Amino acid sequence: MFGLIGHLTSLEHAQSVANELGYPEYADQGLDFWCSAPPQIVDDIQVTSITGQTIYGKYVESCFLPEMLASRRIKAATRKVINAMAHAQKHGIHITALGGFSSIIFENFNLHQFPQVRNVTLEFNRFTTGNTHTAYVICRQVEECSKRLGIDIQKATVAVCGATGDIGSAVCRWLAYRLQVGELLLVARNVERLTALQRDLGKGKIMDLELALPTADVVVWVASMPKGLEIDPTILKQPCLLIDGGYPKNLANQIQHPNVYVLNGGIVEHSLDIDWRIMNIVNMDVPARQLFACFAESMLLEFENWYTNFSWGRNQITLEKMDKIGEVSIKHGFRPLLV
Amino acid sequence: MQQLESIPKYDFHSEIYKDAYSRINAIVIEGEQEACENYVKLAELLPDSQAELDRLSKMESRHKKGFEACGRNLDVIPDLGFAKQFFSQLHGNFQRAATEGKVVTCLLIQALIIECFAIAAYNVYIPVADGFARKITEGVVKDEYTHLNYGETWLKDHFQPSKSELEQANRQNLPLVWKMLNQVAKDALVLGMEKEALVEDFMIQYGEALSNIGFTTGEIMRMSAYGLVSA
Repeated sequence: MFGLIGHLTSLEHAQSVANELGYPEYADQGLDFWCSAPPQIVDDIQVTSITGQTIYGKYVESCFLPEMLASRRIKAATRKVINAMAHAQKHGIHITALGGFSSIIFENFNLHQFPQVRNVTLEFNRFTTGNTHTAYVICRQVEECSKRLGIDIQKATVAVCGATGDIGSAVCRWLAYRLQVGELLLVARNVERLTALQRDLGKGKIMDLELALPTADVVVWVASMPKGLEIDPTILKQPCLLIDGGYPKNLANQIQHPNVYVLNGGIVEHSLDIDWRIMNIVNMDVPARQLFACFAESMLLEFENWYTNFSWGRNQITLEKMDKIGEVSIKHGFRPLLV
Repeated sequence: MQQLESIPKYDFHSEIYKDAYSRINAIVIEGEQEACENYVKLAELLPDSQAELDRLSKMESRHKKGFEACGRNLDVIPDLGFAKQFFSQLHGNFQRAATEGKVVTCLLIQALIIECFAIAAYNVYIPVADGFARKITEGVVKDEYTHLNYGETWLKDHFQPSKSELEQANRQNLPLVWKMLNQVAKDALVLGMEKEALVEDFMIQYGEALSNIGFTTGEIMRMSAYGLVSA
């Protein structure tokens, strides 16, 4: 059985979903209540591969909300992630993806130091960040969409914003060596990490966001922030492909410009309908088929019986691992969302 | 992103710590004492389980001695008068139910609500406890899971006939627990135990118990949050 640990994008969103699912006790509550709310399994999922194989899974709502980070309620945020993981493990789930902010919180606050959760010792090999599949899907989106828009990727300037993160660094590696992009711009806040990344890659130019945006033909946004980002579309090159692989995704709604193509990054489409309710709630365009690539990774690991933390830690994603997850992604009928 | 603050060090011998400890320690001692008596009462109501319930009762009595030692270790005199008052309403509800022969209500109060709350509080306390109390509390928590298990198993086996009484007893008693928690939230915080962590751990524990007994997710969400906001 596979699992997905997810959360909602804001308090307002959480209240409306609780109402929709018929839990008025949760619908009327403010942030304090959500800081005390326990994880819940709110959906049973059935997925069939194009090979004919069917697997089963569960969706664990962690009750985390981005406002917890924005208001520095860090202990509450970390409790949500750890408790949701313990909940998944207690329910016998073999492999669970840490969706949305869950894996970021796990990494940033070094939660691997706290494996003991009440009477449960977390077995970290039952969890995956799903970042390898997300990175792979974003890279395929860059490749396919730039082709469709007539952007020659080997001559193009590609800016990766959030380049030093787990997904960002993997995307940079693929863009530099597999796609051999014309020029790779590395954008992130931490200069030390940027320099280390540049050294590892042996390629790429470190640049500030303000300078990088107007020069890039393709912008890959993979930074995650509790509050969304605002980009002025008029400063961008035209045409420009903007892949929003961050979380939460807000660029598509915000940027409406004829020559700026915004694509939700790290999203896959399955070839067959998936039996679940939960994707209606996270506002996918085609809820029965579209999902986050990180969630799909736990499905792929389940299909293949790879019960291991395939994506774990920071900057451990190799091109070989991306190839490996990409191969089974295609095999089971997932494809990157395209413009 | 900011780093998780490391757990602050507490001055276990400061007056402010010891003052708060005198009430929290008393609650724990009184709670174990009442649990010991409640299991004796339950044994009268459930003669088939007498041996098991007697064993649980004795275990609670041992826990009480352990927590008394924790107080002595810090040179704290537990405020038992406060603790008796603290438990009086819940205790009264248990005794009334026992007199009326309402086994289901008695089990909900003692084996579910009180045990879940004790487990939640002990789990939140362990990382911030002094070394002596930590060892004692870790031992107690292991035992407490077995009590919870007794109540869960019995109620699971009698789920259908017990269901409406469980819901009624939950409505009657859970709001009391939230009020009790509010009453000691400040003292608990002095000891390093945050109210929202206590509530969350309780809801997790209680939700798991209700799920094992046979309630659905929707029923659990309703029952375990009952009265929380108005408290």
